[in-house]
Amino acid sequence: MASLGDLERTVMGVLWAADGPVAAAELRDALADRELALTTVHTVLSRLEGKGFVRHDDARPRRFRPTATREQHAAELMHEVLGASADRQAVLARFVGGVDPEEARLLRQLLAES
Amino acid sequence: MLPATAAALAVLAALLAWPVPALLGRARWPRRDPLVALVCWQAIGLAGGLSIIGALLVHGLAPWGHSLPEAGWAVLTGQPARDPVRGDHWVALTLAAVLAAELLGVLALSWARTARARRRHRELLELVVRPADAVPDARLLEHPAPVAFCIPGARPLLVLSSGMVAELDDAQLAAVVAHERAHLAEHHHLYLLPFVAWEAALPVLPAAARAHAAVRELVEMRADDRAVASLAGPDPRRTLAQAIVLAVGGAAGGAGGVPSGALAVAGGAVSARVARLLGPPSPLPAAARAAALACAGLLLLVPTVLLLAPAL
Repeated sequence: MASLGDLERTVMGVLWAADGPVAAAELRDALADRELALTTVHTVLSRLEGKGFVRHDDARPRRFRPTATREQHAAELMHEVLGASADRQAVLARFVGGVDPEEARLLRQLLAES
Repeated sequence: MLPATAAALAVLAALLAWPVPALLGRARWPRRDPLVALVCWQAIGLAGGLSIIGALLVHGLAPWGHSLPEAGWAVLTGQPARDPVRGDHWVALTLAAVLAAELLGVLALSWARTARARRRHRELLELVVRPADAVPDARLLEHPAPVAFCIPGARPLLVLSSGMVAELDDAQLAAVVAHERAHLAEHHHLYLLPFVAWEAALPVLPAAARAHAAVRELVEMRADDRAVASLAGPDPRRTLAQAIVLAVGGAAGGAGGVPSGALAVAGGAVSARVARLLGPPSPLPAAARAAALACAGLLLLVPTVLLLAPAL
């Protein structure tokens, strides 16, 4: 039994690979090897929608498309981790904070001399 | 007349608001033993709060009795004040209430905000990352900047960027992972929380910002120490130092859209870490350790005793 997180990732993978909006039934068929019930696909889609990762249109049946590309999501995350976001506390100080080029040069010198 | 307890607490609060954090922030010994220094900072933060709120309370309640238990009991049982209640008593009581509410409120607020941000980060991460082949329990984020971080919590996550993996060799990567694991294992985010609250509650107090920065730096040094102790290899200190310098070099090179405006935060802290790894300072003697820990204990004991002791 695959976890919901795993299913969400798989569904997003299909949506990202698709050319346009995709209906739930098409998603089920695209993931035929997983033998998902249509209700399961809908559950996963509504969870993804709740997190703001997919949007649906008003067509009948509803079709779903991702709100952003995988790269955009990765960039958003990096921006929050690296950037001046007020919620930087959420991640524990990254491995190294930023330094200016001058300090970076001094550091390399320090390492070379020891 | 100010009760002697209130005066003593006020003096302690003043010492903890400026000279003590300034001294500890400038001292050289904390980098020899970051853990003991972290304990001292926690004691300063806690004793500072206790003494300033305690001083205000004891002074404000003075008309009801000259010690906190006595006056508190009198107020709770509805006894009339023995001495006339003046304006400054009300001011002190109001300040005590405002400060206590602000500190606790900021603490709760930053707790809630970080919990929300962490959930969002986790959701994003679960969507865009895949397990890192090199490190089984870490996740790999496709991004050119060399970055490693962890998200603490019930299900902690350790994240490496593909830039980091590309930049470092296996031993250096293991050192980075060990550093991040040390943060998670020792719950370093909890050490930082009180100082986030202090800084947010009293932004005018320079000691609050200084303490926060010092604790941040010490937590990194402590994680370095833990990482070095857990690593195999001929020279783990040098390996970790190399990893830091490589990660910094990549970040300073402006690789891949790292927002540079936010970067110049750590300042000399990174240099201090690298210098410390390459030329390790001698460990603190056992007697000095014990003395520092005793000071931390005293710092907490003094305001507690002053608050609970009967009137002087």
